[in-house]
Amino acid sequence: MTQRPMIELKDVHKYYGDYHALRGINADIKAGEFFSLLGPSGCGKTTLLRTIAGFEDITSGVVMIDAKHMEGVPANKRPTNMVFQSYAIFPHLTVAQNVGFGLRRDPRSQAEKDKAVAEALEMVGLKGFGARAAHALSGGQRQRVALARALILKPKVLLLDEPLSALDKKLRENMQVELIKLQRQVGITFILVTHDQEEALVMSDRIAVMFEGEIAQLDDPETLYRLPKSRKVADFIGHMNFLPAAIHGEANGEIEVEVLGLGRCHISDKQAPGAVSGGEASIGFRPETLTILYEGQAATDRETTGKVEEVVYYGDMTYYDVKLDGVADPVRISMRNVPGRPVLERGASTRVAWSASALVLFR
Amino acid sequence: MNLNSRWGRLTRSPAFNGYALISPTALYALLLLAAPLATVIYLSFMGDGTGVHQVIHQFQLCNYVGDCNSYRTTDGTLAVAEGYKGAWSDPLYQALMLRSLGVSFLVTLATVVLAFPVAYFVSFFVAPNKKSLWLFLITIPFWTSYLVRVFLWKVILGYNGVVNSGLLSLGIISEPLTWINVNIGAIVVTLAHAYAPFAILPIFVSLEKIDRSLLEAGSDLGESALMTFWRVTLPLAMPGVVGAVLIVFIPTVGDYVTPDIIGGGKLPLIANVIQKQMLAIDNMPLGSAVAVSAMLIVGSVAGLFVLANRRFLKVKK
Repeated sequence: MTQRPMIELKDVHKYYGDYHALRGINADIKAGEFFSLLGPSGCGKTTLLRTIAGFEDITSGVVMIDAKHMEGVPANKRPTNMVFQSYAIFPHLTVAQNVGFGLRRDPRSQAEKDKAVAEALEMVGLKGFGARAAHALSGGQRQRVALARALILKPKVLLLDEPLSALDKKLRENMQVELIKLQRQVGITFILVTHDQEEALVMSDRIAVMFEGEIAQLDDPETLYRLPKSRKVADFIGHMNFLPAAIHGEANGEIEVEVLGLGRCHISDKQAPGAVSGGEASIGFRPETLTILYEGQAATDRETTGKVEEVVYYGDMTYYDVKLDGVADPVRISMRNVPGRPVLERGASTRVAWSASALVLFR
Repeated sequence: MNLNSRWGRLTRSPAFNGYALISPTALYALLLLAAPLATVIYLSFMGDGTGVHQVIHQFQLCNYVGDCNSYRTTDGTLAVAEGYKGAWSDPLYQALMLRSLGVSFLVTLATVVLAFPVAYFVSFFVAPNKKSLWLFLITIPFWTSYLVRVFLWKVILGYNGVVNSGLLSLGIISEPLTWINVNIGAIVVTLAHAYAPFAILPIFVSLEKIDRSLLEAGSDLGESALMTFWRVTLPLAMPGVVGAVLIVFIPTVGDYVTPDIIGGGKLPLIANVIQKQMLAIDNMPLGSAVAVSAMLIVGSVAGLFVLANRRFLKVKK
């Protein structure tokens, strides 16, 4: 049995005057999925979220939610609820009145509604906060109220517009975990808009990376991280080193490439996920896929030599900028600081181990 | 030396600087507000002499309650010249006070009800770069004197005014209508027009302060535009509405130019009799007692109104 996606976006375009904000968005979002829209500011991710919520009309295309056309359906009639970036907590109401705002036409009795409000508050960890004035809450508490207010209506889709961006780092990391747990608990489709790639990787089942009104890549976090389809996506998600490369042949699902500084090697054609662009080819690899070898350690696969240019010590990790022999720009290598492994000095000569299986080809 | 340093410390303290900063304003308020107010309150407890602006400095309560007398002084002895009733005992003042309050209620209601849509329109429907132009246009009536504006309404609504002569020349009426000029309605129209900008501006400011995402949240949570207005916009605009009500209500109770000019002296309000007692009749103690009574009543009404709306006023952004 094939399940219909919760949200179907078909060739969605949105113009603001002459400005082309959404340029043909196609995506299916599955029921119960934690889906993220990731991109730099101005890429159209918030616009897309708002078109799903019903706050923006689309110029052309189709938005379907739960197999229903959403054209002409206003926000208050859609099976979606939103957690706003500013949280939009009503300052003139108490916490309980905020959470119960959407229950006005609920046929249940007042006592049952009060119980539902109390349960919603308990679910977000604000038990007993009901009588407080909403304007007196902290940022993290506001966010929880906004969540409870949306979830109490049992929407089919919960939309989150950069909900964590206003919180400090510690609180943000805690809330990420809490949101994931909450999503598993309620089983509602979550759509998160964020510009924080780490947040998207941590929380999402699937991520759509957006640039300039288009989805550049839509994949699960691991695929997105390990096999980005373009240098732009690779650059936006984490750090990626690039080295110029020349393709020497392609046969039996294998590609032979000559990489500057690393040498000639064979990679699988799965390691070239992007479309052929015809431009200059390059090889990309993540900082953690290279290993700095210490005295007497043997490489498991291939090795090359270089010189340490910069050392950035992070406590658990050390980042090295290493200039590989024969390459002008240094590459970044991250190493876990384990006991017995000395942190190298700047200017030290070193051997670097690498493996062809961790490379990504862009062409 | 010790004194000097203490003086130096005093002059450097933030509190001192604060007081120094407001002292011109404070002095102004003291001289032109507190002092006259104290004088009026003082006079309201004194006796009336028959000489021009003569006051007998003798404490009494009869200007407020009971029967009172004006005195003539001959050879240093006081003789009763004329009796009158105190402000709270004379049914005339009660009736005038009620009429004044009624007019003010009507003016306030009309002004705020008409001002709200204007403020709402400017705040929600005018492009941000055009808002200041709109506010500028709204204040245009202020460019002319209040008196000129009141006369303008007389020209429009008067016996031989624009409306009457227009209707006459069109043959719709054969005699000038009198009910459009000398009546409460004409006073209310004139005052409501004069105070409209005072009501529009505070309401506009409170509407501007409303985070627009709150309105989106209202609709996101299933409410129609009308219900979102009722449950979100209006409560959040209440500080501005309360401000507008006070700004219109308080001065209109004391207005005496409009009833004089529009009403032609036939529909005096409380301020007109205060003026008459103070100047023409020259009974300053009674005039003061009426003025203090009116002030107390207006103050209580305003206080009650603020109290009734305090839950809206507590909200911080």
